[in-house]
Amino acid sequence: MLHARVVDIAKEKIELSKAEKFITSSKCGASIYFVGTVRDLNNDKKVIGMTYDSHDALVIKSFEEIYQSSIKKFNFDNSVVFIEHIKGKIKLGEISILIGVACKHRDQAYELSRFFIEEIKKKTPIWKKEHYEDGDSEWLEGNPIQKY
Amino acid sequence: MNIKLELFGASRDFSNESFINLNLKEKSTIRDLRTALNKFIDTNFEGNKSYKKMVNSSAFCSDKDEIVSDNYKISNNKKIGIIPPIGGG
Repeated sequence: MLHARVVDIAKEKIELSKAEKFITSSKCGASIYFVGTVRDLNNDKKVIGMTYDSHDALVIKSFEEIYQSSIKKFNFDNSVVFIEHIKGKIKLGEISILIGVACKHRDQAYELSRFFIEEIKKKTPIWKKEHYEDGDSEWLEGNPIQKY
Repeated sequence: MNIKLELFGASRDFSNESFINLNLKEKSTIRDLRTALNKFIDTNFEGNKSYKKMVNSSAFCSDKDEIVSDNYKISNNKKIGIIPPIGGG
């Protein structure tokens, strides 16, 4: 089971409680939450915020493809995945991405959680613009998208 | 023919709008679009090297939200999106 959304920060925030509600299941004995936040330093520059840009339709499609790929790769029974990624400008410490997974066993949950974040980095069309203390801002270079 | 190129990520610096309009020859492909974008950068941004690098390593998506190859034929008045190198999370 998958929940996948792009969350517009102008309208709402990403909340851990929503993920908890979605992935909680008596069939699963292990849950893991991966939470990505904006950190204060990159390449020796003081970061004060980040703007995330997203091709929403392709992002959702990519999350669904990663989910399907995970089923083929791992074939874990009863796994549940909650993914939300932010779009818009957020401040230091705010959540940019939340991946919640629930599986029968802990080793499955760790493996599935790691698989999702690594695949998102390679296959999901989201871009970051860093905002610095000196008023400057810069799009981060990134890597060419890989497709299934 | 006219096409509307939707901008994402670093390519948003190409315009204050979320898109740019480009005029291409009939039966143009994504490869031709890439060439036209390089000319656009020459004209509007003095051949900015980092913009060209970004365009040349970008993918493109169709109006059906599919990543398309360099041989993909573009239709008149169709929307195409540029997908610069990504880095979410």
